Amino acid sequence: MSSDIVVSCKGVSRTYQEESVPVHALRGVDFEFARGEFVSIAGPSGSGKSTLLNVIGGLDRPDAGTITVDGVELNGLNETELSDLRLHKMGFVFQSYNLIPVLSALENVEFIMQLQGVGPAERAERAMSMLDSLDIVDLADRRPGDMSGGQQQRVAIARSIVTNPVLLLADEPSANLDSATTEDLLQLLRRLNEERGVSILTATHDPIVMSYAQRQVNLRDGAIVEDSAAKVA
Amino acid sequence: MPLKLLLQLSTRNILRHKRRNGLLLAAIIVAVGAVTVSNSLIRGMQYDMADAAVSNLTGHVKILAEGYRDDPNIDKNFVLAENWQPDVAAEELVGWAARVRVPAVIMSERGTRGIQFVGIDPDQEDISFIGQAAYDGERLTDGSDGRVVIGRALAEQLETTVGRRLVIITQGADGLNREAGFRIAGLYDTDGTSLEKIFVFTGVNTLQKMVGADVFTELSIRLVREPFLFQFKTSMIEFFTGLEVLDWRELEPQAAAMFVFADAAIFIWFFIMMGALIFGLVNTLITSVMERVRELGMLRAVGMRPKSVIVQVVLESSILMFIGVACGLIAGWLFILWLGEGIDLSRFAEGMDAFGMRTTMRPIPLAGDMLLVAGLSLLFGVLASLYPAWRVVKIKPLEALRR
Ligand SMILES: Nc1ncnc2c1ncn2[C@@H]1O[C@H](COP(=O)(O)OP(=O)(O)O)[C@@H](O)[C@H]1O
Ligand SMILES: [Mg+2]
Repeated sequence: MSSDIVVSCKGVSRTYQEESVPVHALRGVDFEFARGEFVSIAGPSGSGKSTLLNVIGGLDRPDAGTITVDGVELNGLNETELSDLRLHKMGFVFQSYNLIPVLSALENVEFIMQLQGVGPAERAERAMSMLDSLDIVDLADRRPGDMSGGQQQRVAIARSIVTNPVLLLADEPSANLDSATTEDLLQLLRRLNEERGVSILTATHDPIVMSYAQRQVNLRDGAIVEDSAAKVA
Repeated sequence: MPLKLLLQLSTRNILRHKRRNGLLLAAIIVAVGAVTVSNSLIRGMQYDMADAAVSNLTGHVKILAEGYRDDPNIDKNFVLAENWQPDVAAEELVGWAARVRVPAVIMSERGTRGIQFVGIDPDQEDISFIGQAAYDGERLTDGSDGRVVIGRALAEQLETTVGRRLVIITQGADGLNREAGFRIAGLYDTDGTSLEKIFVFTGVNTLQKMVGADVFTELSIRLVREPFLFQFKTSMIEFFTGLEVLDWRELEPQAAAMFVFADAAIFIWFFIMMGALIFGLVNTLITSVMERVRELGMLRAVGMRPKSVIVQVVLESSILMFIGVACGLIAGWLFILWLGEGIDLSRFAEGMDAFGMRTTMRPIPLAGDMLLVAGLSLLFGVLASLYPAWRVVKIKPLEALRR
């Protein structure tokens, strides 16, 4: 059973110094995430959602507690090792600026595989079939500047999962989208979760997003106040 | 990390801001082109100066009797064996000339001047200006020619010309004055006028007879390569014990100083140009990196190593520099070709020949100088990009994404 735990947080705390006033973004969070789950971290702005996603994604380090991702404890890794972990195990979808402006959609999707050292033929084939399964083949040659916000986020999702990461982290992926586009995007995420078994951890304060996830975790002032999985269990 | 990918990103980022990078490129081309042209002109001047100094009856190495330099007179002489030849490989030697040189007074019906009276073997004088000069009238035919050739400027001063007679007075080996009449065979013409006013030439045997001694006062040797000078001078010192063996740098210290200065000038000029250019380069790179700070943060967030980000920025700078340097060298080269034999400065050149310079600036492009400019420019391009690269890498990916 334990091999199916992709993320495990134990007593994770993160405190920022904001003009020498300590801000407790996370206060002793315990959290487990199983392979194949679609979890939404919910909570008001400033409750610590982004911080939690960042420490899990190896973009930030907790002050206390341990985080294990796919069997690797993050505390022991240096910056380069964290960087490589992000490259090989994580998929990221940020609010915006996900794509490289000077590359076409296809090249953007190929980009991470290129960093990983996947050969050109395999890269192109995998990227194309990913665009195809997301119904955005027609965007292949366009650069981000010539795409709508929703289209850009779709390409970003394609890029983040084409490498088969153990985990897809999406922090407010729909923050800049209108509600119809948001629903399209969420349907896509749910489909990827159900059909391909992609593990998705998303953070949002948007009620529409929460409703799409199978499990919801509520954060308030840096602590988990409610976890729908716990109720079921 | 795939260099090809980084190259692709760098070139596309350069193309993203065509105007800005185009201007920078233009600045690099102009700077490199200007440095290339100015270097070739400096080299031209330097070589002309050295050439003029060596041609100035000096040679690369000159042998004089002890004391001749302080008191140039026929007493300070030496004898040279009939069939003397310098002990040196033929391919290292341009030639040598043995002369008699004494101070003298020259008189025409219209004027009197103090001069250096030099007896030469015209066949030996390919190595000096007198063998290379243009003539009105005739040259001296051999060492026993009894006529004189004088400079055109001196002829004007003395209001005389080819075919007329002159009287020359000098001291003989016995200490008594000798006076003799000479017919003017021809007037020689050099680039400046100072040599023309000083030197009057006749056959070496003629002058030896006049002063009453079968001796020489100087021996000049001209080499093919300047770098061979040191070795050669050492062997001459061994051979001519008791005589003074001097090289052109000792005989023409002013020209030698200018020669060294020209080497330094090439560097100074380059560093001034580069200094200005680097400011522009660093500035442009910082702008271009800082406006991409979120993008670069994202690249690192998804797993690109900081090293690769640095390489990407360094590549951008290097690509611009490489293209700029290549075009700059070509532009400079074309300009040099266009200049051809040189820029005529004779209108501004009053007194320039005093420094041994010619009145035309002749470009001499040296491959070594160009390689140096290219190499240093590329090096500076890389160095200049390290600071902006370091600045952007210092920003943590999360911080960068939040901007
Ligand atoms: N880099 C930072 N420096 C200082 N304070 C921060 C920083 N990042 C987050 N915080 C603070 O930590 C708290 C949690 O922030 P965050 O995790 O971004 O919340 P959420 O994503 O839920 O809006 C907030 O009070 C925020 O102001
Ligand atoms: Mg947030």
